[in-house]
Amino acid sequence: MGLTLERPTQAPGPSVPLSSSGSNRGKRARWVWGWAYSGVLSVLLTLTVLLGYLVTGIASGTVDWTALLTSSTWSPGNLTFGGLAMIYGSAVVCVLALLLAVPVGWAAAIALSEYLPPRLAKPLRLSIELLAAVPSIVYGLIGIMIIRPFVAGLGNVPGGDSLLAAGIVLAVMIMPTIAAVSVDALAAVPGRYREAAYSLGLTRREVIRSAVLPRARSGMRAGVLLGLARALGEAIAVFLVIGRADDRLPESLGDVFSFLVRPGQTLTTKLAGPEPMLAGTSGPYFAALCALGVILLVLVAVATVWGTRGSAKGGARAPRARRSSAWLRIPKDRLTTVVRLGALLLPGTLLLGMLGILLARGGAALNPVFWFTASEGAAGGGIRDQILGTLLLLATTALIALPLGYGAGIVIGTRASAKATRVLETLTVTVGGTPTILLGLAGYVLFCTTMGWGRSWLAGTMVLVPVVVPVVALTTAGRIRSMPAEITEAALALGLTSSQYVRSVVIPYTWPATLTGLLLGLARAAGETAPLIFTATVFFGAPAVPSGIVNAPIQALPTHIFTLSQDSGAPEAVDQAWGSALVLVLITAALLGLAVFLRNRFEGARRWTV
Amino acid sequence: MSFTISESSRRTVRSTGRRVRQGASLASACLLLSAALTGCAGSAKAGSNAIQASGSTTVAPVASDAAEALKSKGLNITVATQGGSAGGISQLGTGQINIALSSKPLSETDKKAYPDTDFVTTQIGADAVGVIITKEVADGGVKGLSKAQVAGLFEGKITNWKEVGGPDLQVFVYDKEPGRGTREVLDKFIYGEGEPPAPPKSANYAIVGGNLETRNKLKSTRGSIAPLSTGFIDGHPELVAVPLEGVAPSLANVASGAYPMTRPLFMITNGKPEGTVKQYIDYILSPNGQKLLTQHGYLTLKQMGL
Repeated sequence: MGLTLERPTQAPGPSVPLSSSGSNRGKRARWVWGWAYSGVLSVLLTLTVLLGYLVTGIASGTVDWTALLTSSTWSPGNLTFGGLAMIYGSAVVCVLALLLAVPVGWAAAIALSEYLPPRLAKPLRLSIELLAAVPSIVYGLIGIMIIRPFVAGLGNVPGGDSLLAAGIVLAVMIMPTIAAVSVDALAAVPGRYREAAYSLGLTRREVIRSAVLPRARSGMRAGVLLGLARALGEAIAVFLVIGRADDRLPESLGDVFSFLVRPGQTLTTKLAGPEPMLAGTSGPYFAALCALGVILLVLVAVATVWGTRGSAKGGARAPRARRSSAWLRIPKDRLTTVVRLGALLLPGTLLLGMLGILLARGGAALNPVFWFTASEGAAGGGIRDQILGTLLLLATTALIALPLGYGAGIVIGTRASAKATRVLETLTVTVGGTPTILLGLAGYVLFCTTMGWGRSWLAGTMVLVPVVVPVVALTTAGRIRSMPAEITEAALALGLTSSQYVRSVVIPYTWPATLTGLLLGLARAAGETAPLIFTATVFFGAPAVPSGIVNAPIQALPTHIFTLSQDSGAPEAVDQAWGSALVLVLITAALLGLAVFLRNRFEGARRWTV
Repeated sequence: MSFTISESSRRTVRSTGRRVRQGASLASACLLLSAALTGCAGSAKAGSNAIQASGSTTVAPVASDAAEALKSKGLNITVATQGGSAGGISQLGTGQINIALSSKPLSETDKKAYPDTDFVTTQIGADAVGVIITKEVADGGVKGLSKAQVAGLFEGKITNWKEVGGPDLQVFVYDKEPGRGTREVLDKFIYGEGEPPAPPKSANYAIVGGNLETRNKLKSTRGSIAPLSTGFIDGHPELVAVPLEGVAPSLANVASGAYPMTRPLFMITNGKPEGTVKQYIDYILSPNGQKLLTQHGYLTLKQMGL
């Protein structure tokens, strides 16, 4: 088997020959592939379990799909299951969130990456990443305490529970995600494109438009899709502010706007409510809920496939020639500069505002006693047990997710053919974008009901692992893809087998990115609420350290905040909730800080390759 | 000719070799994964000896206080409230918990849904569900509501408080999630054994879950109304439980049964309570435990004449 120096244009990563014939050194590192493939299998296993749960659920009763998709009457008592109002609710809150978040997120990302000097951009980029990693339950708390009253004050909206409030909460939540991913995409565009464009005498706006954006577009679109997936799948933050009223559907176009300020229901809030517990595990009620889950999953998958299809093509496509009018070049350039830098103010204000609120109201967390004492009653004492529970979940999740995600990333990045890569990547992104409420429900039925574990920390871990694995896998695969071809070629020219190549070239090159991915994934898992409510946590009485593995529930910060934020009438509960939120943010910030530290060290070390 | 054959056969050999290698890595991957999974499952048999209780947010405060009191005696009890009374009953039916907290009597449908479970109910006290309105509305003239008026309000037919003698203010209805004991009590008051109609499509209607959430939303919304256990509005002067059909939810009226929305509070077990579960329930039935009910605004068994 000869060495091909020319890499196939379609292959997204360095495609490695499976083995160099005539060499017997491959045996030494065979374990690499066993491990790598188990990562891929874990992704497939998650999908199988998820689909198994949904399909057997649907098969356990009859689902009237026509009614589900066209009727808005949801009445389990009369065995009438219409899901249209929930589909409508999901669509409206996502569209609202994207309308608000995408322009700001993109503009902020461009300002950050193309306009600001690195000295300023670096800390700002860090802040945006911090915002993107803020647990959604904290956004839910802000939604209840600030956005609900804000919407209530907008007009005749008693209480403020509405689709609009949910849309705003989601927009605030996904805007940093969109910005952070877009910044990465922009930063990945090599400087030589900019230099070439500037040397042609183009203005900054024109350089960005014709040289930078075409190359960053697929990454920026991926950011939007990540944001959309997060918005579609978010359950708890929406649950807290949407009002959860069934059967709401505007009858005319004019109604659409008045319905924005009315309570509604989305697919996720329906699933996060009490009904999955009431529906049992078979029969038409359970089947209808599973059918809603399928619709949710399909929506996420469609968004995912739509996004990855674009990026696969985008890699090979040459930037289109753009005809740009020479009219008012300089003023246009100045205007866009102002707009883009202005857009940066929004996330900046958001960050400062959130930090301010958290520090002002979560003062309890500044007292070390709060960290190290157990809670008393409903809203007194400290949160020691909740912190320990959260850390236990994170540690076990990391132990399981790191090897699996790393393995999957290596397979996606090096082994698979272009087509297989696309399929695998799509599957991984789908698992990563899977609404966590579905993972929670599948875990609830599989571990808690069928296997009889009851609520246990292990069930919670099992539900969080699929949240982290895709993040690790995708960052690893992305890093492998960005490996200079020379390295791969040199390694193969030295006669390394593919497993030796992975062991001595790929792993040293990617591990900082992988760990960064792990920390980012963990930061996300730390704030997961919906799946834990069903599988792992109780509000009161769980011991600080579980005495067993199954039937051993714990307490965790996200669910603690969730319960307390609903009890926001009592001042001591409010303080407790904000204090817990601040602690949770600090934990995610620590994870993220570590990720950034790694990345910085790693970027310093990378210079030899460029 | 022979050259091409040998070339192609060599290619086949090589590709089968590749397939074998790929198969080997796949197989070892399966082994690794299954080892990890069975490793977890194998060590998973050691369960904890904690008692798990879950269900009604009405019963939960009493249950947690009792659990706290028994902690010193070495009893380890967890309390969760996901899904309300019906959620507790379904978790008991599927064997996930030891005690279901319920603020509604067990129904025939519950028993039918879990035929393998031997539901044993123990009443621990009683409670009154009030139709709660804000002080602003009560002060504005709503001194009592009839059954028809309550029905009109919750069905969205009465949309302004002035229609029932109150201020000129829009009504905002907070209804309870399905499966909540509180809602069943209200339905029983309005509709008797009949099936309640679908919720109204009015703009001023939203769903709430637990009691604390209900109270919080009532307090933050002008002109709101919701069914809520009267024990939860003690110490919250901005909320008022209106008299129904001229009967106020006072202790005497609830104990005598004159107030129409009285309900029993239960702890439900699978089979007769035994061991630590019995110890826990017995504590709540003891004079010390019964005091907890009074503390949370509920009625003791003695007050109910039971």
